[in-house]
Amino acid sequence: MQETAINQNITLKLIPMTKLKTTTIGIYIHRPLTKKEASLNALLPSVLKRGCRLCPDTEAIAAYLEDLYGATLASTVIKRGDDHIMHFDLETISDKYALGGEKLCASLTRLMLSILFEPNVRDGEFDAQIVEQEKNNAKDKISALKNDKRSYASSRCMEEMCEGESFAISRLGTAEGIDEITPRSLYLHYKNIITSSPIDIYVCGEADAEALAAAVREYISGLEFSTPTLPQTQILKKSDAEKKDVTERMDVTQGKLAIGFRTNTAPTDADYSALLVLNSLYGGGAHSKLFNNVREKLSLAYYASSQLEKFKGLLVVNAGIEFKNEKLAYDESLAQLEEIRRANISEQEFSSSINDILNSLNSYYDDPRYLQNFYLSQHIAGTNRDIEYVKEQIKNVTVDDVVEVSKKLELDTVYFLAGKEEN
Amino acid sequence: MKLEHRSNELTHEELYFARHSSGLGVYIIPKKDYSAAYAILGTRYGSVDSEFVVPGETQTTAVPDGIAHYLEHKMFDMPDGSNVFDKFSKLGGNANAYTSFNITAYLVSATDNINENIAVLMDYVQRPYFTEESVQKEQGIIGQEINMYDDNGGWKVFFNFLNCLYQNHPVKKEIAGTVESISHITHDYLYKCYNTFYNLSNMSIVVVGNVDPQQTAQVIEDNILKNEPFEEEIKKLYPNEPEEIASPCSQQSLSVAMPLFMLGFKDTDTGFGGDKLLKKNIEITILMRMLFGKSSKMYKELYEAGLINNSFSLDYTMQPDYGFSSIDGESPDPEKVYQAVLDTIAEARRSGLCEESFNRIKKVVWGSYIRSLNDVDTYANAFLQHLFMGIDYFDYASVYDSVTFEDVKKRFENHFRADRSALSVINPTD
Repeated sequence: MQETAINQNITLKLIPMTKLKTTTIGIYIHRPLTKKEASLNALLPSVLKRGCRLCPDTEAIAAYLEDLYGATLASTVIKRGDDHIMHFDLETISDKYALGGEKLCASLTRLMLSILFEPNVRDGEFDAQIVEQEKNNAKDKISALKNDKRSYASSRCMEEMCEGESFAISRLGTAEGIDEITPRSLYLHYKNIITSSPIDIYVCGEADAEALAAAVREYISGLEFSTPTLPQTQILKKSDAEKKDVTERMDVTQGKLAIGFRTNTAPTDADYSALLVLNSLYGGGAHSKLFNNVREKLSLAYYASSQLEKFKGLLVVNAGIEFKNEKLAYDESLAQLEEIRRANISEQEFSSSINDILNSLNSYYDDPRYLQNFYLSQHIAGTNRDIEYVKEQIKNVTVDDVVEVSKKLELDTVYFLAGKEEN
Repeated sequence: MKLEHRSNELTHEELYFARHSSGLGVYIIPKKDYSAAYAILGTRYGSVDSEFVVPGETQTTAVPDGIAHYLEHKMFDMPDGSNVFDKFSKLGGNANAYTSFNITAYLVSATDNINENIAVLMDYVQRPYFTEESVQKEQGIIGQEINMYDDNGGWKVFFNFLNCLYQNHPVKKEIAGTVESISHITHDYLYKCYNTFYNLSNMSIVVVGNVDPQQTAQVIEDNILKNEPFEEEIKKLYPNEPEEIASPCSQQSLSVAMPLFMLGFKDTDTGFGGDKLLKKNIEITILMRMLFGKSSKMYKELYEAGLINNSFSLDYTMQPDYGFSSIDGESPDPEKVYQAVLDTIAEARRSGLCEESFNRIKKVVWGSYIRSLNDVDTYANAFLQHLFMGIDYFDYASVYDSVTFEDVKKRFENHFRADRSALSVINPTD
C-alpha cells in the first residue's frame, strides 16, 4: 500500500491491483459515534449524492455514470466500534477495457471530488426538498432494519449488551434524530465535519497516484482544515453483571436466537489471534462446533454460527430455530463452548479453523473491498498489521491459547425473537 | 483429454476446454496473479425438473417437489459416515452448493491445495450415499430452511410474482419444495434422480483462478469414476404454459416495515437458447434501464415523490423455456409505481425511444460484463450458467456488438405488454 498524506486530515491509500478489471475507490469519513450526531452522519451521504457542481442532479449523475460504462456510486454509513463512518464506494472498469479509449478513472475521480467538496448549497443550506426526501428515506431505512430477521436479532442482542454505551446507538441514527434535522443544520454539520475529520481515500486497482493526489489538492485548495482525531473504542467490560434475557415478539414463522458474550479481549491484546481461532472453531463455518452439533447432529437449525465484533469485544451466537426449541438450542450452544473450555477439540477441528482463517486472509488479495476493509480495520484498531503478519500470528496459535481465551468469554445477554403469543 | 485454447484480446482472458469421453465438459480459465481459485461442478438439473424420461426408458418419472435441493443437501454425506466438509476443511477449501430453478452446483474455493480440493469435489459428487435414516434426518434442517424463507419478504414477493405470471410452469414453485412435499422424498427417489441427472454427460466443471490448466485438467480426468455417457438426451417434461398470465396481482401480509413489491412482464418470445437468447437478454436489459433506470424521467418522478427509494432495482431473467423482466423495491404505494411503469411504456410507444440514451446505456452492459470477470466466483458461476443455456460467455463481445437501436425498438414493441404484466405486493402486518 502506497500512502500519501494530502494534509493532516486526508490520506490517500493506493493499493495497486493490476490483475483486476476494475478500479475501486472507497472514501471513509471517521466520526465519533454519539447520540448527538449519529442521525446527521446517517443522512449526510445520501444528500451529498443527490447532486454537485459537476452533475447538478440525480439524473445527471446517473447519466454521467452510465457514460463511464455503468460506473457505480454508493453511499452508506457503517460503525466499527465507536467509529461512525460515512462511506462512499465508487467503481469503474479499468481504462484498458473501455471500448472507446475513455479515461474512466480520472472522470470518476472528478465526480467523487465534486460530490465531497462542491455540494449544491444555496443561502447557507442544502435544498429543502432534497433534504426532506432523504429524511423520509433515512427513516424508512431505520424501520426496514427489522425486515432481515437474522441480522436484526443479532444487532438487537448487541444493543442490549451495550445498553447505555455509545455502541448501542444504531449506525442509522434514530427517527427522532432525523426529524430534528433542517437543511441548515445539515449543511452546518457538513461544513464542520469535512474539514475536521480524518478522511481516508482507498484506491484499489490501476490508478495514477500523483494525478489523484493533485486532483484532491486542487479541490481542497480553498478550505481550512483543523486537527482531526480518530475515534477510539474501549471493549465492553462489566463486573458482577447478571445475565440479561430479552424476548421480543413479531409475526414470524421461525424464531431467532442470539446469545451475546463479552470477549474481554481487545484487538491490540496478545491473545487476540487466539480469539479469532476460537470464533472460527466455535461457529465460523461448516467445520465448527455449532454447525456440526446444533445443525448436523440435532437438526435444530438451518444456520447456527458465531460472529465477532472485534472493536467492542463481543461474540454473538446466531441460530434460526423452531420456537419450541429455544432452550434446546441454547443449552447445546453453551455445551459446545464448554467442550472448548475443556479442550475437547479434535486435531481436525483445530486445523480446519486455522486453515479457514488463512484461506479468507489469502483471498483478500483478490478482492478490492475485502482488502480495503482489512486495512481500514487495522487502521481503526491501531494495529496497522499487514495480511502476512496476521497469517503468521494465526499459525502460531495453539490449542491451549484457544482454551485460555475461551475461558475469558462471559455470557452477557440472551435475545430471542419469538412469534406472536397465539402461535 | 486434450485441451483446446482460446484467448480474448478485448478482455485479456484465456480459456482452456475439452469434452471428456464421459461427456463431462471441462472449462479452465487461469488467472495467474490471483491468490484463489474457484471450481464449480454443475448439472443441468434444478427445481423445475420434477418430471422426466430417463434415457433408455419409455415411462415418465414423476418425483416430489423440492427433490433437486434435497439431493444437493444429501450429497454431503459420505459412505463411511463422515461429512465431506471435513475433507475440504483439512485442505483449507471452502465448499458449498446451491440449487436454482435449472442448475444444481457444487463448488469449492481455495488459496492452497486447489488441485487436491478439486479432486475431493469430483470425488464426492460422484459418490452418492443415501439411507432411509440419513434422508429422514435432513427433514428437520430443510424444514427450518423453508421456514426461514417463509419469513423473508423479498423471497415471498418474488414467488408470489412468479405465481401471477405462470399458470403451470414449475418455475412458480419454491425451490426447496414444501414441508409437505419433502415428506414424500425417499432414498429410492434420490437415487433415481441422481442416476439420471448426475451422469457426467449432463454436467460440466468450470475452474477460474490460480491454476495450471494442464495439471488441473489432469486432476479432473484422474478423478472421473464412471465413463458411461448417455447416448440420448434426458427428456425433461414441462406442462404446457399458455401465453396468458395466471393472475394480474397478488397480496400477502408479513412482518415488514414498508410494502415490498415486484412487478414485471412475462416473456412469451421463448423456446431458444444460444446467441439469440443472449441478444434478447441484452436488448431487454438496455430497454429496462432506458425506460425505468436512474437516468430516466420515471425514476426521477417516483423518487422525488417518495414512491420509490434506493432499493428499486431492475432485472431480466432468461432461460430457453421461460423469461420475465422484473422491477422490485419498497414503496408506500406499489399500485402507483405499477401505474407509472405502464404509463411510461404507453408514453414511449407514442413518442418513441431515445437513440442517445440507447448508445449511452448499451455501454453499461459492457461494463457489467467486464466487471463479472473480476472475481473468480462470479466469473465461474456466470460462465456455467451461460454455458447451460448454450451461450459462449467467453465471446460475449460478438453478441454485444450485434445489438442495434433497431433491435431494441423491435423488442420494445413485443415485450412490454400490459396484459402480460403482474404486480406482487407484501404488505406490513401492522
